[in-house]
Amino acid sequence: MKPDDRGLTGLELAIGRVLRLGVGASSVLLAAGLLLTLAHDDVGFAPAVLRAAIIILLATPAGRVVISVAEYAREGDWLFAALTSIVLVTLAGSVAVAFWGGS
Amino acid sequence: MRQPVPPMTVSLAAIIFAAGAVAGGLGIVLGLGGGIFLVPFLTLVLGFPVKSAAAISLTTVIATSSAAAAAHAGSHQMNLRLGMLLEVATAAGSLLGGITAQVVAESTVQRIFGVVAILVAAVMLARVNRRNIISDPDADPGRLGDRFHDVDSGHVVTYRVKRLPLALFASFVAGNLSSLLGIGGGVIKVPVLNAWCGVPLRAAAATSAMMIGVTATSGAIIYYGRGNLPPLAAAPAVLGVQFGSWAGLQLAERVSAKWLKLLMAAILVIVGALMFVRSLR
Repeated sequence: MKPDDRGLTGLELAIGRVLRLGVGASSVLLAAGLLLTLAHDDVGFAPAVLRAAIIILLATPAGRVVISVAEYAREGDWLFAALTSIVLVTLAGSVAVAFWGGS
Repeated sequence: MRQPVPPMTVSLAAIIFAAGAVAGGLGIVLGLGGGIFLVPFLTLVLGFPVKSAAAISLTTVIATSSAAAAAHAGSHQMNLRLGMLLEVATAAGSLLGGITAQVVAESTVQRIFGVVAILVAAVMLARVNRRNIISDPDADPGRLGDRFHDVDSGHVVTYRVKRLPLALFASFVAGNLSSLLGIGGGVIKVPVLNAWCGVPLRAAAATSAMMIGVTATSGAIIYYGRGNLPPLAAAPAVLGVQFGSWAGLQLAERVSAKWLKLLMAAILVIVGALMFVRSLR
């Protein structure tokens, strides 16, 4: 077996936790927002709940990339720390296009 | 010309939830995102604009991918190093596809969807009996290869990654089409990794599932920022996909890969033809 097997499995498990937590939290909020809307919520915070749910969902894979960068850097695996950083920069590029880019 | 997003009612929410459940279940069992089934359903059956359907689908793809990757964590089917490397290409492709989606016509997107679905079906049919495994469990997997316990054969499977530039190119194209069409892109990566790059089907699917979250996020952020993502329609879709994925996970290990590929190919041909015909109107 490869010498880095243990570290990689640790990273795999950390990734699993982040993904489960992010998807779980956003699902609960999506369900709450949907039910509030369908139940003719007059308080009017359903849109805010749904917005928070979508933002958490979109942030979940990004969070996974952040953890990967940190973990590879901690292990001194600079090649993969650099590669995952490039992915993070690309995601930042999407945010820029989404909110500031020209039409 | 541009149709609005249908207003949300209890019955529409229930239909979207059910569609999400079917797409999510199929997605998990097939090792794909499920978007390739959800986008045509939302546009052809429920009358959503293609961009909104793509955006909704991408949010469900994030959930499916994340759930699948979380479930695979620790099983060693995911090839993390290969996935992270290919992600560089797929994220770049995804960003470009998201920009493209903002400038091309809806009918063009539908036509591309039809062609892609049918091409993917053809590739699947052509490779239906292929297995890419080295039977010697002690063989050297190389820098990017991996080994894992295969539930189909009951053996430890070792493989080497071949034709890395092709895998990178396929990941770029997959990312691009992911943003444009609202699919995960696994439908392109999995067959290419499996057929030409030496990665066994289950490892290719697990690795692809992990990457797809990032791919879909890149596209979904752009749709969301540009106002193409209706959160109220995304909610039942994401929840349905979650349910379908859970159900799919109970079945995934018991269903044979060969029959999955055949079923998948048949569905894709029908979906592709429908999308193409619709784009001509």
